[in-house]
Amino acid sequence: MRPSRLRTASGWPRTAGVSAAILVGLLPAGAECQITPAQASQLRNAIGNRVEALTILGGDYGIAAANFRSTGKFTFGESADATVTVTKLGGAGDIGDPQPLGSLPVGWQPHLQGNMGWLDGTQHLHSGLVEGDITEIKTYGIEFGGGARFWVNDRLSFAPTLMGLYGHTSETYTANSAFMRENLAKATQLGLVDWTVDTWTFITGVDFQYVYTWDRTIFTLSSNPVYYHTESFKSSNANLNVKGDSSTWANIIDVDIPVGVQLFGHELRTGGYYRWTGLYGALSRGLNESSLNELHGRVVLDFLNQLWKVQWIGIGGSYVWGSHVTGWTVGADVTFRF
Amino acid sequence: MAAVSRPISLLALLTAALLLGGCWAAPVATVQPNGEARLIQGAIAVQSVKEAAIVSSMDRNAGTIVLRTPGSAENSNYKVGPKVSSLDNITVGEVVQATVTEELTVYVLRDGQLPGAGAPAVHARVLAVDPSYRLLKLQYPDGENETIKVPLGTKLEQMEAGDSVVIRPVEVIALRRKG
Repeated sequence: MRPSRLRTASGWPRTAGVSAAILVGLLPAGAECQITPAQASQLRNAIGNRVEALTILGGDYGIAAANFRSTGKFTFGESADATVTVTKLGGAGDIGDPQPLGSLPVGWQPHLQGNMGWLDGTQHLHSGLVEGDITEIKTYGIEFGGGARFWVNDRLSFAPTLMGLYGHTSETYTANSAFMRENLAKATQLGLVDWTVDTWTFITGVDFQYVYTWDRTIFTLSSNPVYYHTESFKSSNANLNVKGDSSTWANIIDVDIPVGVQLFGHELRTGGYYRWTGLYGALSRGLNESSLNELHGRVVLDFLNQLWKVQWIGIGGSYVWGSHVTGWTVGADVTFRF
Repeated sequence: MAAVSRPISLLALLTAALLLGGCWAAPVATVQPNGEARLIQGAIAVQSVKEAAIVSSMDRNAGTIVLRTPGSAENSNYKVGPKVSSLDNITVGEVVQATVTEELTVYVLRDGQLPGAGAPAVHARVLAVDPSYRLLKLQYPDGENETIKVPLGTKLEQMEAGDSVVIRPVEVIALRRKG
């Protein structure tokens, strides 16, 4: 019986942060006063990478919801000062107890995963030609899918999954610089600013899990490689298309500790996890990160077998960091066991 | 080099996990538990919800009610708790959802016997134990399973599949008509 987790996260932007690359800086900082076709093509590719990255960041349950602040350099060399807020409401878990798989010495149970996510990012551009301009990106995504978890023994299991993710991303550009006030119409026509794009993402992965109980404390080790393929199917500009491949590899160690003290008739539990997520492909290029780390802590009350299918209710928080980004999340931590 | 060694390490871990864990098998309650026949623990106070209990009889003056759960071979006599106010609306033969308190006694038996104490009237066998979340999964003679939350201090570390459970009915704390 593995838990399904419902997680919410929200917060406010940090006022200090390490360099990062979350939002796109749309225009080069060169001395040119017109956007060349080559630059436009390069920028559209970057937009595609970032749409894919933000859709996965905002819509996939597997990546932490958090508030990020970015003050780093982007691929094209412009300075960036960006904040991103990601809110997610989702869950993943196994249904019921493992059942025998025919006559094989293997147990299996259905595995379901779903998520609704919302990402809101604002970037203040600090670069010669576009100094003072503001770009705002909003993404929402809905993800659903499932698979099956197979138990090789009482501790070791693996769950291959297939999922689909619908994403809608829009960008709004506020031109304060003379350059962009002059070129805004052209940039819009080229599909570089003020665009919307709808995407679908095919997701497949395998979640390997090893569960070990020592005394009453549960240790769970997970390794979860995931592949994403994203394409746009509707865009406000014919020039703007998204098509790309990404993958992640998350490795998690989770500790679930019963405290032995009851509050309101429910046992207090604490614990948390450390997650390292390797980012590859468009996701890595779009976020300008090769990996993210997440340290999560929680304090919850045990409701298992006492309130419907609720396993625990409490609060949890995470700190997320990479080589160019920091973030945090605080939210209700509600976990179900079906 | 690091890129190669990481998958190898993962493979080594998976192999070790396989070797240490043996094969998966569905839990079985009819196995003979390990160790000598003995009393593991008695008077374990638990709460249970009987989803479709049939009211066999009631004594309003004495404040007792006799319930029978489908598939159960015998009736259970409970005291009616002070918070149960709907007894007047309940009739004999009616199907109710009853939240009850009970006391469990868990034994390891050999051939159904406890040396020096004869053969206890066993009501269920332990199917699975979750010590972390204090869950005891019982299997009744009709094959029905029930998962019960046991209190802190229960010796779950000594319990395992196949242990015998004697259930003493105590009190009905909530009663609701079904249908």
